[in-house]
Amino acid sequence: MVSTTKLEYKAAWVRRRTFEMVISAGSGHLGGTFSSTDILVALYYGGVLAHDPSNPNWDGRDRLIASKGHSSLALYPILADRGYFQLADLETFNDAGSTLGGHPDTRTPGIETVTGSLGHGLGIGAGLALGAKRNGESSRTYVLIGDGESQEGAIWESAMFAAQHKLSSLTVIVDNNGVGATDHTANSINVEPIIDKWTAAGWDTRPVDGHSFDELLKAFDGDGTGDRPKAVIANTIKGKGVSFMEDTAAFHHGLPSGDQIELARAELS
Amino acid sequence: MTAPAYTDIRDALFEELFELAIKDRSIMLLSGDQGAFSIKKFQDSIPDQYINVGVAEQNMISVAAGLAMSNHKVIVYGIIPFATIRCLEQIKVDLCAHNLPVTIAGVGAGYAYATDGPTHHAVHDMALMRVMPGMQVWNPSDHTMIASIVPRLVNNPGPKYIRLDKGAFPDLYADSGDDFLNGLTVLREGKDIMIVATGIMVHRALEVAETLSRTGIETGVTDLYRIKPFDEGVLLRAMGNSRHVATLEENSVVGGIGTVVSEVMAEAGAGIPVRRFGVADAFRWDLGGRDPLQERDGLDTVSLIKNLTSWNNRRTSDGAKDGALSK
Repeated sequence: MVSTTKLEYKAAWVRRRTFEMVISAGSGHLGGTFSSTDILVALYYGGVLAHDPSNPNWDGRDRLIASKGHSSLALYPILADRGYFQLADLETFNDAGSTLGGHPDTRTPGIETVTGSLGHGLGIGAGLALGAKRNGESSRTYVLIGDGESQEGAIWESAMFAAQHKLSSLTVIVDNNGVGATDHTANSINVEPIIDKWTAAGWDTRPVDGHSFDELLKAFDGDGTGDRPKAVIANTIKGKGVSFMEDTAAFHHGLPSGDQIELARAELS
Repeated sequence: MTAPAYTDIRDALFEELFELAIKDRSIMLLSGDQGAFSIKKFQDSIPDQYINVGVAEQNMISVAAGLAMSNHKVIVYGIIPFATIRCLEQIKVDLCAHNLPVTIAGVGAGYAYATDGPTHHAVHDMALMRVMPGMQVWNPSDHTMIASIVPRLVNNPGPKYIRLDKGAFPDLYADSGDDFLNGLTVLREGKDIMIVATGIMVHRALEVAETLSRTGIETGVTDLYRIKPFDEGVLLRAMGNSRHVATLEENSVVGGIGTVVSEVMAEAGAGIPVRRFGVADAFRWDLGGRDPLQERDGLDTVSLIKNLTSWNNRRTSDGAKDGALSK
């Protein structure tokens, strides 16, 4: 197993690289990106995902659907670092002619689906998991969603479908940072008790500290038990890594400005 | 191909689909808890290729997308408003943005579910499916046509929508040899009026054209069965020999074939007057069946004959054959 120290080092690099990419472009969703960074680092560097950067469309690959596409910008540095494209391409984020936009899409190698509209990824993931099962393939499907995204009704249609069809190779990871675009989710539609909801829907539910690589990797290991799909409830902090960006909706899409930029850089270094 | 005499127009699709599916395990049929007589064959013979996804149309489309991404050919089935409008964004993003081989088979065209009310009236689907990039839109008029196009729906790339009626209708194309590649077929010529109709309204158009022609108003009928994509040149040639063009559809006049034809005629500068016959831009609460609803919107034979006759005669007496506006 990869050492958690190495993963922490990598996560710090990903946050710095994403921060510079977004600040340079002048737009991007940093809050949710930072809450989900450790989850994505665990998947891509912790030996969880079976994938081949030299053959992104390899049939036997595991699929990651970053359904909360707006806050999955950490994928760009990760995919570049893993060899899907050049690190220098990160400088083109949001530029004309680039494929690296505010919501990842399939033009970028390593991105499985078009993202940007919430609540779609879990159903697609269920279809992929069902398709793999029908094809006799052992690949797994991981879907990253948010707690705000869990307010979408379609998520629960898909949750019930996946349990009904015993899609144990399907894992949903809820980036449970508790904050939406303008407020804490508890103040709009409270998705708690979220563990009870996924368990009641028929999922093997594993609550973890979403910033603990030990806990994340342990939760990701293997299929869901009892023929159930697996729900990893990753309790996270929106804006994780920069103290003044943490647990607030202000940096959902808002960016640090002025002196805040250097303060953030100092904390991320 | 000579289609068997089906008791329901839906069976033309599902029977042909079944014949393909028993030879191709990658074909999957998903239903939003909606039945059809021949679906039972899937349940009995190839249950592994049929899923009742329940009353969850958004998930049905997303699951179809995931299955298509893992090398399946998918047909999803439901009552039209629920299989199209309810899950419109999943259709746009999951199917169209990924250009996946998924066919949406919607049942209950127009006022087919008459007394079930405006929630079930399917009069907006053609407009909404037509604006989805890459979506093919089919509104077939008979069993033979449906049976003939099923292999293309299933095996060709990209998303498709097919709008199905309910019940049995006379076969227009039995033994015609039409391959339905054109997107439209001129069923009869008419120098005074060309009625461009779609779906089961093609049968109504033929009836109206026959009556009008007997009264001296030579009326043709074009069956526009593929709303998108279509060849503008073919459509213009079909309409170009008539002094008037009427469109006829059991669908909103906003965005349906009336809009399609008007757009083509206007851009081509064809100078031929167009009149749209379709469902008004309104909710219809009238009960009593499909006929009263069609009458309310002037889609019945009597109203069409009356309105087309007065339109033709007025325009003719105004010397309006060059397209000048009559007062």
